[in-house]
Amino acid sequence: MSRTHDLGPAMIKVDDLHKSFGDLEVLKGIEAEVDEREVVCLIGASGSGKSTLLRCLNRLETFDRGHVTICGHDLTGSKTSLHAVRRDVGMVFQSFNVFPHMKVLDNLTLAPMKVLKIGKAEARQRAMALLEKVGVADKANVYPTKLSGGQQQRVAIARALAMQPKVMLFDEPTSALDPETVGEVLGVMKNLAEEGMTMMVVTHEMGFAREVADRVVFMDNGVVVEQGPPKQIFEAPQHERTRAFLSKIL
Amino acid sequence: MTINFAAVLPYLPVMLKGLGISLEVTVLGFLIGSVLGIFVYLGRRSAFAPLRWLGYAFVEVFRNTPLLVQLYLIYFGLPQVGINLDPFWSTLAGMTLNNAAYTSEIFRAGIESVPNGLVEAAGALGMRYLQTFRFIVLKPAVRNVLPALTNQFIVLFLFSSVGSVISLNELTSALKDLNQRTLRTLEIFTIGGLLYYLASAVIAGSSRLAERYLFRW
Amino acid sequence: MVTPMISFDFGQYMPPMLRGAGVTILLVVVSGIAGTIIGLVFGTARSAPLAPVRWLASIYTNFIRGIPILIILLFLYYEIPLLFPYATFSQTITAVIGLSVYSGAYIAEIFRGSIQAVPRGQLEAGEALGLNYVQKMRYVVMPQALKIAVPPGIGFLIALVKATSLVSVITATDLTRAGRNITSANHQALATFLVVAALYFVISYPLSLLGRWYERRLA
Repeated sequence: MSRTHDLGPAMIKVDDLHKSFGDLEVLKGIEAEVDEREVVCLIGASGSGKSTLLRCLNRLETFDRGHVTICGHDLTGSKTSLHAVRRDVGMVFQSFNVFPHMKVLDNLTLAPMKVLKIGKAEARQRAMALLEKVGVADKANVYPTKLSGGQQQRVAIARALAMQPKVMLFDEPTSALDPETVGEVLGVMKNLAEEGMTMMVVTHEMGFAREVADRVVFMDNGVVVEQGPPKQIFEAPQHERTRAFLSKIL
Repeated sequence: MTINFAAVLPYLPVMLKGLGISLEVTVLGFLIGSVLGIFVYLGRRSAFAPLRWLGYAFVEVFRNTPLLVQLYLIYFGLPQVGINLDPFWSTLAGMTLNNAAYTSEIFRAGIESVPNGLVEAAGALGMRYLQTFRFIVLKPAVRNVLPALTNQFIVLFLFSSVGSVISLNELTSALKDLNQRTLRTLEIFTIGGLLYYLASAVIAGSSRLAERYLFRW
Repeated sequence: MVTPMISFDFGQYMPPMLRGAGVTILLVVVSGIAGTIIGLVFGTARSAPLAPVRWLASIYTNFIRGIPILIILLFLYYEIPLLFPYATFSQTITAVIGLSVYSGAYIAEIFRGSIQAVPRGQLEAGEALGLNYVQKMRYVVMPQALKIAVPPGIGFLIALVKATSLVSVITATDLTRAGRNITSANHQALATFLVVAALYFVISYPLSLLGRWYERRLA
C-alpha cells in the first residue's frame, strides 16, 4: 500500500488480556501492539473475540486481567480518566449509531463543543470540512434517517474524526451495509489510512485488508493464532486454523 | 396525634373480609368479561358491517368513560327502567362490561402479533386453517397476551375499590368504616394500601411463574 | 305499572354540568403537568447509576401503582384535616395533590421504559465521543426517550381523565359530582349520567384518536 509516512512508536499495547462473560472466556491472553500510523486488520470467525478486543481498547468493555495502554493512557488503572481516553480514541460501530434526532451537522458538532469546549463557529467549520472529506457535505442540514446506510456510516466516521483522535477503531464498519454502499465507506477508510491515521479495523472485507492493512491479525477462539503482513497471511498462512478459515471465505 | 399500629390490628379480619369481596368481584368480572371480550373481538372481525361497528362502538364507549359513571348508570339509572341490581351485581356488571372492552383489544393484539410468515409457512406445508390456528397461532398468542392480561386483572382489582361508592362492602368500604370508628387514618389506610399492594404483587408474581413454567421457549 | 318519564332539562342543568366538566379538564391539566415533572424526576432516577437513588424511586412508583387511586384520595381527604385542623381549603386542592402523586408514579414508569427503549448503540456512541453522564442524558438519551414516551403518555392521559371522576367521592366539584348534585335535584339518574358519560367521551375520545395517529406516525 502506498503511504506517505513511516510507522512511529507504539500507540496501542495489549499485554496478556483476559476477559470472560460470566462462565464464557472470550479473550484468553491476547498480546498485541499497534504502532503510530499503522493499519491493523483483525479477522476471524464470529465469536473469536475480535470485537470484544476492540471494545476493550476504549473501555466500552472492561477486562478481567492483563494490561492495555492506548495513546499513553493505562487502561488498567482505575484512576485513568475515561474521557481523556475517549478524546484520543475514535470509534465507528457496525450499526452506525448516528443520532437520529439531530441533523448531520449537529451530530458532528455536539462532542467537540461539549467535550473539547470548542466554540460553535469553529466546530461547524471543522464539521463541514470533514463532511466534504467523506463526501456528504451536501447532507449537512438533513436528518440522518433520510440517508442511505453508506452515507450514515460516513457521517459516523466524520463524527469520530471531529474529535481529532489519535487512533481510530472500526468495529465491522461495513457488515450492516448493502453491497452497493460498502465501497464508498471502504474508500473513505482507505484515504484515512493513506493520510497516516493509526487504525485498528475488525472486518470481513478481505479485499480491504489485503490492500490497505500493514498487518493482518487472525483470531480464533479468544487467541491470536497468526499475524503478519497481508501478503503472508493471505498467500502463505502458516497455521492450519488460518488456512481453514481462509479457505471457507475466499 | 399518636401513631399506633397495634391498635388497628384487631380489625385486620374485617379488612381481609373486604379484600375477599374485592377479589371475588374481580375474578368473576375478569372471567365473564374475558369470555364476553372474545365475542366482542370476533364481532369486530366479522364480515357483517353493523356487527363490526357495534363492536367498535362498545369498545370505545367503555374505554373512554369512567367506571364510576358506568356504575352510577347501572346502580341508579337502570332502576328507572325497572332493572334493580344490588351493589354486588351492579359492580360486577360494570366491571364485566369494562373488562370485555379491554380484553377484546388485548386478544386482538395477541392474535395479530403472531407473525404472518408462520401462518403462511403452515399453509405451504398443507395445514388447514383450524389446524394452523390450534398449533401455530394459539400458543404463541396466549404467551404474548399473558403479561397484558395479568396487568388487566390487576387494574380491574384496583378498580373494584370504586364499588365502595355504591355501597359494595369490599376493602375500601371497610377502610372507610374503620376510619370513622377509630379515627386512626394513617394506620388504617397504610395497612389497607399494603393489602392492595401485596395482593397485586402476589398476582403479578404468580403470573410470571406461570409464564416461565408453561412457555419454556 | 307506571311508565317512567325519562327527561333531562338541558337548559337548566347544562351550565352546572359544563362547569363540572371545566373543573375536570382543569384537574387533568394541572395534575398532568405536575405528574410529568414528578415523573421526569423519578423516571430518570430509576435508571440512575446510583443504586439507593434507583431504589427509593422504585419504591414510590411501585407502591403508588399497586394501590387504587381512591385510596390515595380518601387518605388525603381524611388525613389532611387531621394534620392541619385549623385550615380550610377546597377539596379541589386535595384532588390535585392526590392526582399528581398518582400521575407521577405512572409517568415515571413510562419514562423509565422509554429511556430503556433508546438503543444501546446510541449510548455507546455518546460514550465513545467522550460525553459524560449528564451530557449523554441531555443530548442523546432524553430527546429520543421523550419521543418514545408520547403514545403511552397519551394513553395515560386518557386514564387520568377517567381517574378524575373519583374526586367526586371526596366532594370536589368535578363533572361526576355535578352529575350527582343534579340527580338529587331532578331524580333523573339515567338521563343525567348519560349526559355525564357523553361529556367524558367527548373529552377522552379525541385523545384516543390522537394517540393512535401518533403511533402510526412513529411506525
